[in-house]
Amino acid sequence: MTNETDLPEAAVRRLEASSFSSGLTVPDFAACLELGLRPVGLVQGFCVMQWGWYGAGSSFMRGMNPYTPSGQQAGGYSQTYRCPHGFVSAEHRMWGQNLEQPWVEAAWESGYGTAYRRMVEEAQAVGAHGVIDLKDRISHVSESSTTEFHFLGTAVVVEDGAPPAGGVPWTTFLAGQRLTKSIEAGFMPIAIVASLASVRVWAYCMTEYLMDGGRGGGPTGPTGAREVDQVTEAHMVVRQLAREHVRRQLGGDAIHGARIDVVQRELSQGDEVLDCTLRGNRVRRFKDYDEMPAPRPTVRLT
Amino acid sequence: MTDPGVDAGPHAVLRAEMRKGAELLSVAAPPGKAGGTTSDLTVDEALLLHAAGWAPIDLVCGVTIVSVPFGVWTWGQSGEIGVASDAHGMAVRGAVDRLRAECRRVDGHGVVGVTVEATVRPHHIEVSLVGTAVRPVSKHPAPSAPFASDLSARDFTLLVGAGWIPVDLAFGASFVYAPWRSARAAMAQKMQNIELTNYTQAMYAARELAMERMQQSALAAGGTGVVEVKVSEGPMSFARHAVGFTAWGTAVTLVAASHQYLKPQVILPLDDAVVTFDATSLRGR
Repeated sequence: MTNETDLPEAAVRRLEASSFSSGLTVPDFAACLELGLRPVGLVQGFCVMQWGWYGAGSSFMRGMNPYTPSGQQAGGYSQTYRCPHGFVSAEHRMWGQNLEQPWVEAAWESGYGTAYRRMVEEAQAVGAHGVIDLKDRISHVSESSTTEFHFLGTAVVVEDGAPPAGGVPWTTFLAGQRLTKSIEAGFMPIAIVASLASVRVWAYCMTEYLMDGGRGGGPTGPTGAREVDQVTEAHMVVRQLAREHVRRQLGGDAIHGARIDVVQRELSQGDEVLDCTLRGNRVRRFKDYDEMPAPRPTVRLT
Repeated sequence: MTDPGVDAGPHAVLRAEMRKGAELLSVAAPPGKAGGTTSDLTVDEALLLHAAGWAPIDLVCGVTIVSVPFGVWTWGQSGEIGVASDAHGMAVRGAVDRLRAECRRVDGHGVVGVTVEATVRPHHIEVSLVGTAVRPVSKHPAPSAPFASDLSARDFTLLVGAGWIPVDLAFGASFVYAPWRSARAAMAQKMQNIELTNYTQAMYAARELAMERMQQSALAAGGTGVVEVKVSEGPMSFARHAVGFTAWGTAVTLVAASHQYLKPQVILPLDDAVVTFDATSLRGR
């Protein structure tokens, strides 16, 4: 797979076969046919990424110095926290920083996007108009620093329907009844959207003390319950960044069924990495809402 | 693959809509404006909300981390662990305030379907809330204090239809030390089947305290009651002698002149329950 547009030979043979394959359940398959969608093949895309060394001495070690914030990529989020105590000792954390990690985001986007494009390429090879019932999986493979991005979906053709512009199939996580309802409601799937935001928290003295329960008292003495501003801010920002990244992909469309997941890796007291992923179905309205009757409550006698 | 003759049937409309959707995508879309609606609602929920006159606007979040000082979990005392209860309350209130602030930024009237995640660690408590900001389709001016609710879109629709409106998340927490007995008392009771009244009283009081706090927070928010109360309890994984109780729900108030009786329609499904077959159960697992 040196070239993103190359398909493995086995994939070409499989896609050229006269039979079709699909990952749909039987009910979803039936709903798909009722909607006028003809399954043409099971399509997939992979990409295995290695995560490089971002630690001390690497070219990615930016933002470490509070006096040169320009080391951070332009436009990226960065916030510095300064010790309120003055010099205490050489070990005292005089400053801290919350730092967006665009290089991590770019690497994730590259892996996710490449796997997605390869799946779309397979779908194009079978002349599909769309890909439904998409499943994405991100998992570690043999080595701890490698991650595999995997997409699997069922390519479909809209019977008597127009092919998509540029021959690029639309995609959706939905299938079966849920896809049918979406179409009935006037929402046409455009593509799945996903993004990752990554923020590194370098704790300053107050964060370190508070996240360690104020052990030893710290320079300010023991404290009661107190909000940890730096970590709270990082949690809020990482979620905001993920939503901003997704909004940039929407172009005025809507996203339905969004799912937000945050993975938190604690490195030491207060020092942590927050990775937030957001994914969902980008949809575009092709007709106005049909007048719907007010929902009627029912009681089942079962 | 499909019989063209079927298109003359009831599915013709559905298929025509699918083709209409495909036609939309057959021409390159003009560059759209930045942004767009984001929501974690399903299509069902979005439709239900719309039928009730509401629309989703944006996905909103609120998170707060509050420190718990070293030593508060140490056994040797009895009664409530006040600092931990305060920390939990502070974390929840901070997260709700941030959630509402995000809702106000997008001109939302409130947040529905809030997912609550609360994690208690030895030295900090983390509360994370995620939900979808909504507003009436008729676009009334947004209120200064949007509501927050962990009710699903379905329950929200039902509640609004009955003349009620959520006002805020109601919550209460109480952390207590498991009461301890002297070695002499423990030895004396070793062979007896008796009630440990100090345990009973401590747990009873702690549960009541959590629920009372929840009720107080509902009243403070202007609610007249709390629905969908969820109670959780259990020892802390890092300190088995400390037990936490939390109570959550949505504070509601009546906005109609009186409660609207929904008159639910009674239905009797005529289909048999789906029989599931689980091969692993044959081996008794």
